[in-house]
Amino acid sequence: MNKLTARVDRERLLLALAAPVLAVVAALVVTALVILATGKNPFEAFNDMLSYGSASDSQIYILNKATTYYLAGVAVAIGFRMNLFNIGVDGQYRIAAFFAAVVGGALHLPGPLQIVVIILVAMVVGAMWSGIAGILKTSRGVSEVISTIMLNSIATAVIAYLLQPGKLGQLDDAGTLVSTKNLPKSSWFFTFDAGPAGELWGFIVIAVLVGIAYWFVLGRTRFGFDLRTVGQSESAAEASGVGVKKMVVTSMVISGAVAGLVGMPTLLNDSHAFSNDFPLGVGFTGIAIALLGRNNPVGIAIASLLWGYLERTTGHLELIGYDKEILGVIQGVIVLCVVIAYELVRRFGLRRQQQRVGAELAAQAAAATDEKLEVAR
Amino acid sequence: MPRPPVTSAGPVKGVRTPFTGPAPCPAGAGTIAAPALTKCQLYARSGELTQGWHPPAVVWGRHRTHPLPTPPYLQGECAINASSPPSPQGPPGTPGAPTPAAAARAAAPAVELRGITKRFPGVVANSDIDITVRKGTVHALCGENGAGKSTLMKILYGMQKPDEGTITIDGTAVSLGSPADAIARGIGMVHQHFMLADNLTVLENVALGSEKLYGIGGRARAKIRELSDAYGLNVRPDVLVEELGVADRQRVEILKVLYRGARTLILDEPTAVLVPQEVDALFDNLRGLKSEGLTVIFISHKLGEVLSVADEITVIRRGTTVGTADPRTTTSRQLAELMVGSELPSPETRESTVTDTPALTVNGLRLTATDSDGVVREVLDGIDFTIHQGEVLGIAGVEGNGQAELVEAVMGMRTPDSGRIVLADEDISTAPTRKRRESGIGYIPEDRHRHGLLLEAPLWENRILGHVTETPNSRRGLLDGRAARLDTERIIEEYDVRTPGIEVTAASLSGGNQQKLIVGREMSHHPKLLIAAHPTRGVDVGAQAQIWDQIRQARHEGLAVLLISADLDELIGLSDTLRVMYRGRLVADADPATITPEELGSAMTGAASGHLDHEAPGIPAQAAPEGGDDA
Amino acid sequence: MRRVTKVAASGIASAALALSLAACGSTSEQKAQDDSSSGSAKAGGVKVGVAYDVGGRGDHSFNDSAARGIDKAEKQFGGSVKELTAKTTDTEADRLDRLSQLAEAGYNPVVGIGYAYANSMKEAAQKYPNTTFGIVDSSVDAKNVDSIVFTEEQSSYLGGVAAALKTKTNQVGFIGGVDVPLIKKFQAGYEQGVHDTNPKIKVDVQYLSHGSDTSGFASPDKGQAAAQGMLDKGADVIFAAAGSSGSGSIEAVHGKKGAWAIGVDSDQYQQASLAQYKTSILTSVVKNVDVGVFDLVKSIHDKKPLTGTNTYSLAKNGVSLTTSGGYIDDIKAKIDAAQQKIVDGKVKVKTTP
Repeated sequence: MNKLTARVDRERLLLALAAPVLAVVAALVVTALVILATGKNPFEAFNDMLSYGSASDSQIYILNKATTYYLAGVAVAIGFRMNLFNIGVDGQYRIAAFFAAVVGGALHLPGPLQIVVIILVAMVVGAMWSGIAGILKTSRGVSEVISTIMLNSIATAVIAYLLQPGKLGQLDDAGTLVSTKNLPKSSWFFTFDAGPAGELWGFIVIAVLVGIAYWFVLGRTRFGFDLRTVGQSESAAEASGVGVKKMVVTSMVISGAVAGLVGMPTLLNDSHAFSNDFPLGVGFTGIAIALLGRNNPVGIAIASLLWGYLERTTGHLELIGYDKEILGVIQGVIVLCVVIAYELVRRFGLRRQQQRVGAELAAQAAAATDEKLEVAR
Repeated sequence: MPRPPVTSAGPVKGVRTPFTGPAPCPAGAGTIAAPALTKCQLYARSGELTQGWHPPAVVWGRHRTHPLPTPPYLQGECAINASSPPSPQGPPGTPGAPTPAAAARAAAPAVELRGITKRFPGVVANSDIDITVRKGTVHALCGENGAGKSTLMKILYGMQKPDEGTITIDGTAVSLGSPADAIARGIGMVHQHFMLADNLTVLENVALGSEKLYGIGGRARAKIRELSDAYGLNVRPDVLVEELGVADRQRVEILKVLYRGARTLILDEPTAVLVPQEVDALFDNLRGLKSEGLTVIFISHKLGEVLSVADEITVIRRGTTVGTADPRTTTSRQLAELMVGSELPSPETRESTVTDTPALTVNGLRLTATDSDGVVREVLDGIDFTIHQGEVLGIAGVEGNGQAELVEAVMGMRTPDSGRIVLADEDISTAPTRKRRESGIGYIPEDRHRHGLLLEAPLWENRILGHVTETPNSRRGLLDGRAARLDTERIIEEYDVRTPGIEVTAASLSGGNQQKLIVGREMSHHPKLLIAAHPTRGVDVGAQAQIWDQIRQARHEGLAVLLISADLDELIGLSDTLRVMYRGRLVADADPATITPEELGSAMTGAASGHLDHEAPGIPAQAAPEGGDDA
Repeated sequence: MRRVTKVAASGIASAALALSLAACGSTSEQKAQDDSSSGSAKAGGVKVGVAYDVGGRGDHSFNDSAARGIDKAEKQFGGSVKELTAKTTDTEADRLDRLSQLAEAGYNPVVGIGYAYANSMKEAAQKYPNTTFGIVDSSVDAKNVDSIVFTEEQSSYLGGVAAALKTKTNQVGFIGGVDVPLIKKFQAGYEQGVHDTNPKIKVDVQYLSHGSDTSGFASPDKGQAAAQGMLDKGADVIFAAAGSSGSGSIEAVHGKKGAWAIGVDSDQYQQASLAQYKTSILTSVVKNVDVGVFDLVKSIHDKKPLTGTNTYSLAKNGVSLTTSGGYIDDIKAKIDAAQQKIVDGKVKVKTTP
C-alpha cells in the first residue's frame, strides 16, 4: 500500500503537468495581448479557434499533421534523452524521403512488400545520414549541433543535384515542378475514410507504434537505461560501464532512422512523390515539440496535436481577418515559456523534495540517535 | 604481506565522537582568540567525548612538536599552537616583535565571520565557520580541494548567501546580497581566472563598469598611475591587455579591485598560474598592500607559500574551520596535518585476514597522456602490485600523482599503454568497463556526483547504475523495475540510508547517505575487488564510521580492497599494506602497523622511498619543523 | 505475447478513437453554413481569394508582382481581397486546405501564386466546380482553372541577343537564384539568344542556391559575390534572374566601367531602390505576372471567366524587354527582328538549357 502511494505520487504528476500547462496559459495571455494590440477582440479569435478546431474535418487535418510532427518529435527526443541535440532531423527526413521516393517510383513489387521496402529505405538513409554526425562526434570531437546543421545543407544540395530532369527527377507538363516518379498506386499507404471530414492517414498507426516502441525501449530495457544514463551524466555512464562513444553513434543512428519516417506520412499518404515543394523544416518543428512534450511519448503526442491544432485554427484566423503572424507568436511564446517553466518547476520540485526529505529525516532522527547510543555501548 | 596485529586501548565499535575536526587549543595550551576557546570548552564538556574518543597515542605520542602533555582530545589539533610561546601574534608588519597589546588592536577586525553555514543539495559546503581577519594583515585560508574555501569566499564576496551565520566588516554586521554590496563595503576579489577583456587597454579594463568613479579619461588614468605607484604594482594604463603576461594581468586585476576602493582583497589561488619568480614579486606586492594598511585574504593550498607570506593562517577542513596557526612557528608538515586531519579510525583489535590468493594483480602498468601543448607525459609508470583476498591495499599520495588515473585504468575507463591487469585468474587488461564490473570489481568513485550517481534520478534507478546487466536489475535485456525497487529497499535497510523512500532523487540525500547507497550497491554484487577512492570524503562522521565498518566486514569475508585516500589516518587505520605513489610511480611501501602520518607524508612529497620504517633515521630529519621552537 | 496484443490493441483503439471523434462532429463547412456566413454578405465587386507562395506579400519579388495585379484589380473593380500565405512545412493537404477555405468562403476567383499549388488546385477545382481558379507558373487540366503561364524563355532570348550585341569581351554571365526548372527557362532562352547572335560568346552560368534552399532569391550579397566573380573573369554583361538577389549583382556590375546588367521580372531601371545604379541597367527581362492576375480578375468581373492555359508570350506582351534608359536603342532593329522571328514561330526557344 505504502509502495503504491509512493509510486503514484500525485504531487510529482502535478509538477510534471504544471510546466506545459503554465507555458500554454502564458502563451494564451501573450497572444491575447498581441491580438488586443492589433485592435481586435482576442476572445472572438479564441472562440473561432475552438469551434473551427473542433470541426470533424479539422480533427482529421490535425491528426494527419500530428502524425508527421509526432515522428519528428520522437526523433529529436531520442537525441535529447542522450543529451544530443540532433538539429539534423530536418535534413535526415528530407534525404530519406527523397531516396525512398526514388526507390518506390522505380520498383514494382507487390503493394505491401513495396511499402515495407520504401519505409526501410527511408529509415536506413536517415540513419546513415545522422550516423555521419555521430561518427564525427566520437572520432573527431565535432559537436553534433554543428555537423547536423551542415549535413542539413548538404542534404539540400544532394537532393537539388539529383532531383533534376534527366537525373532522378521529371518535369511536369508546365515545366515548373520537378518530382520523382510517382509511386505506383499499389504502394500507397491505406487511409481511414471519414466521410465528409476527409481521410485519416493510415500512417498514424505507425506513429503510434513508434511511440510505444520509444516508451518501451527507453523505459524498460537495459539499452534504454544505458542511453538515459549517458544523457543524465556522461561521466557516471562511463564509470558504470556504458561505452559512451558507441552509445552516441547508436542513438544518433536510431534518431536518424526515426527521422527517416518523418517524411513517410506525406510521401505514402499524400504526395506519392518527392517534388521540390516537399514540406521543409518539419525537423525544426520536431525540436519544439520534443521540448514541449518533455521527451515523454505521451507528452510528445499531446504537443504534436497542439501544434497541428494551432496550425489548423490560426490558418482559419487568417481567413477571417486576423494576422497570419499570430501562429508564429503563439508557437514562439509556448516554446519560450516551456523552457522557462520546466526549469522553474524542476528547481522547485528538487528543492521541495529536499525539504521533504529533510523533514522526514528530522522526524526519524530521535529514534536513530537512540539506536546509535545503544550500538555505542 | 601479513602484518602483526595492532592492539590499542579503547572501545572497539566504530562509533566516533561528534568531533568533526580538531578543535583549537584552550587558552593554556595556545594562543587562540576567544570564540575558538568557546568551541574547545564545548567539546570538553561533552560527555560523549571522553567515552567515544580514543587517544591516538600510538601515533601522536611520537609527535615531536609538542613536548607538553595535552589532553588527548586536543592532541594533534592543538599541536601547532601548543609549541608556540604565549601571545605570539605580533602587530602587522612587525613580525617577530610580539607585544601583549596585540589583542587590543584587533578589536575591530577587518572581517569577522561567525558560524557561517551553507548547504547545497547533498552536501554541506560550509558549517559553522569562524574566522577573524585582523586589519593590515595577510590572512591565509588553507584547506584541501573541496574543503569549502571557495564557497566561503563566495559568501564573503556576496555571490552566495549563507544559510546561517553572521558577517561583520569593520565592526558592522552586514548582509551581502551581491558582489556590488561587497565592493561597497570595501571588499574586492581577484579571481583565479582573470576577468579581463583582451582587446581593451588596461585603463579601459579597469574603468569598465566603474565609469562613475573617475570617468574614463585622464582622471581615471591619473588614479591608476597613483595606485600603481603607491603599491608598487607597475601597471601601465595604456597597454592592451592582450600584450600582457600572466603576472601583469594579475596585477591589473589587483589594481582593478583597488580602483573600486577595496580595503580588503580576496585572492583566490593567486599563485596557481605563476612561476616562482612571479610568486615572489606578487608576495612583495602583497606586503606593500599590507604596509599601506590594507587587508589581504589569501586562499591557497600551497603550504610553503602560505607560510612565507601570511601573518595568520586559518585552516578549513570538511567545510569547517579546524584551527588557526602562526606561520612563524608552524611547519608545513604541521599545517598539512591540520588540513588533512589527524583523526584516526577507531582502533580495534583485528586479525589479519590477508590470504595467499591474489585477487588483483597489476603488472608493469604504464599510461601516458598528451596535454594541450602536445607534450606526452607519463601519468603512470611501472606500476606493479598484487592485492590478495582479504587484503586492503592503501595507496598514499598527494593528489594528482596518478592515483585517479590508476583507478581509472583498473576500471577500464582509460586504456594503458602497456601492462597487465589480472582479476583473480582472469586477464581483464583489454576488457571494457562493463565486463570488468560483471567480473567482480566494485567501485566507490572519488567524485560520487560525477561518477557514482545520477543525481536527478530516483534512488532505485541509482541502484541499477553500473549493474544494469546483473540480477536483480534486469533479465534478458529487460529491466526488472520491481526487483530493483525491492532490492533498493533492502539496501536502504541494511546500509542505513536515511531517506523517506526510494522514489526521491539522489540529489536530495545528504552526502553521507548518498555514499552509503553507493557502498550498499557495490557490495550487493559481492565483488572480488572493491576500489574505494576517498570513500569517506565529504561524508559526515556517523556515515564515515559505518562505511569503514562495512569495508572491514567485507574484507573479513575475503574481499580485496584498493583504497585511495588523502586522509592518512584512514589509510593507516584501514590498510593491511601501504604503498606510496609519487609522480605516477609506486615509490615506497610501509607497514601501517608502525608507520606515522608524518613519515608517510614525507614519502608522499618524494623525500623518501623504498621500504619506510618509522625508526629509520633519515625520515625524521626530513620532517624537521621549519620554524618550530624545538627545531 | 501478451505484450504484442496489448500493443496492437492500443494502436487500433487509438485509431478508432480518432475516427469516432472525427465522425461524430460536424465538418467546418457545415459549421460555416450554420453560421450563415457572416462575412460573405458584402455588397458588390469581385471577391478575390489569393493563396501566396512562401514569403507572401512583401517579398519584393514574385509574390509582390502578383500582388500588384491584385491591387490594380481591387482599385478598378472594388470588391474584397482575401490573402493567405504558404509555410515551408506545407504538404499537399495544407495547400488544398488553403484553396478550399477560400473557395468555401465564397471567394471567386481563387488564385494560387506559384507552381506549388498545381496538384492541390486540381483537387480543389473538382471540389468547387462553380469557382474559377487561377494558377501562376503552372498549368492545371480542369475546366474551371485559368493556367497563367509565361514564356520567360522568349524574353530571355531577347535579353541574350542584347547581351551578345553589347559585349566587348565576348563573355557574358547568367546568375540564377535557385536551380529550379522555372529559372532554367530563363537560362535556356538567354543562352540561345546569345549563341544565335554570336556563337563565339562564352556564357558563364551560376546558381546562388539549390533545391529547397531558396535563399538564392533573397540574398543580394550572394548575387553581388557571384557577379563580381564573373566580372573578374572577364564577363561584361550579366543577367541575373534571382529575385531580390539581383540587386546585389546590379550593384557589382555598376562598379565596373563599361559593364552592363540586365534586370528581371519588372523594369528595374525604374526601381527607386536601384536608382543610383540605373546607368548600368541595360534593359530588363520583364514577366508581367500582374497582367495575368489582373486579366483573370477582370474576366470574372466581366462575367466571362478565363479558363484553360493562357500563355503570356512575347506576342501577347506578357513578357517583354524594356527600353528605359535608351541603352539598347542602337541595337533596337536587331532585337525587333529577333522578336519578330519568335512571334512568327521561325525561332523556337528552348525551355531547358
